[in-house]
Amino acid sequence: MTEQELDAMLKQPLPERDAREFSVTLMEAIAQFEARTPRILAWLMLGILSLVIAAACAFVAKVAGRADFGAQSLAVPCALILLTLILSFAALQSVRE
Amino acid sequence: VDENVLVAQAVASRDVAAYSALARLHQSKVRGLLLRLTRGNHTTADDLAQETFLEAWRGIGKFRGESSFATWLYRIAYSRFLMQARKRRLDDQPAEWDATSPSGEDATLTRVDLERAFAKLLPAESAALTLCFALGLSNSEAAQALQIPLGTLKSHVLRGREKLKEILGERS
Repeated sequence: MTEQELDAMLKQPLPERDAREFSVTLMEAIAQFEARTPRILAWLMLGILSLVIAAACAFVAKVAGRADFGAQSLAVPCALILLTLILSFAALQSVRE
Repeated sequence: VDENVLVAQAVASRDVAAYSALARLHQSKVRGLLLRLTRGNHTTADDLAQETFLEAWRGIGKFRGESSFATWLYRIAYSRFLMQARKRRLDDQPAEWDATSPSGEDATLTRVDLERAFAKLLPAESAALTLCFALGLSNSEAAQALQIPLGTLKSHVLRGREKLKEILGERS
């Protein structure tokens, strides 16, 4: 075999491969990868949300025994409810993304 | 659309559509290179190609345009192959070409003969020859893709050529 013959063989282009199925699989993998961060965030929010709800329940159980609804004792449950609402909204947004 | 525009869109704004177009443009060559490196194993080659394009997407922000986009992809593909080869000892597995494809009975050298000959080379030699000849990269681009010095690349090319000439010479 001469150098020229070898060159000609080596320079043969690689066989053309069909892109369709490959591209679909790749795009699915990319979509899954892109959805990972919002999914982790959503689970994190859900965890924090559960903690806030648990804290709210504990607080309510504590104040129910006293039945004192002064301005100060209302501030804490109000803040907890507000925090719950904000976190619920953030979790919803993350899941939607 | 110009490839450079697609690259710019994919890098600057992580544009999935632009990246998808780039992947379609380069998938055949990347898969072809990996198919040769895996010695005809279509499944492993395509899995590695998927990993290559996914890794490229993850790190698209790091692409600085110091080499061409294709060279960058080949570099990722070759690294992926080396990682896989270390894990699964791909070198020890028989070449798929021997099992599945019939060889020509006449003296004419076919593509299968060429692929069988490639299967007998070291991965670095096979990659160097494929990048420099079939994929048309310059020596320095191929050296960049394989992350080896230019001199080493040249010796891989020379040694690979000698081996191929010997193997194909016996065949013909």
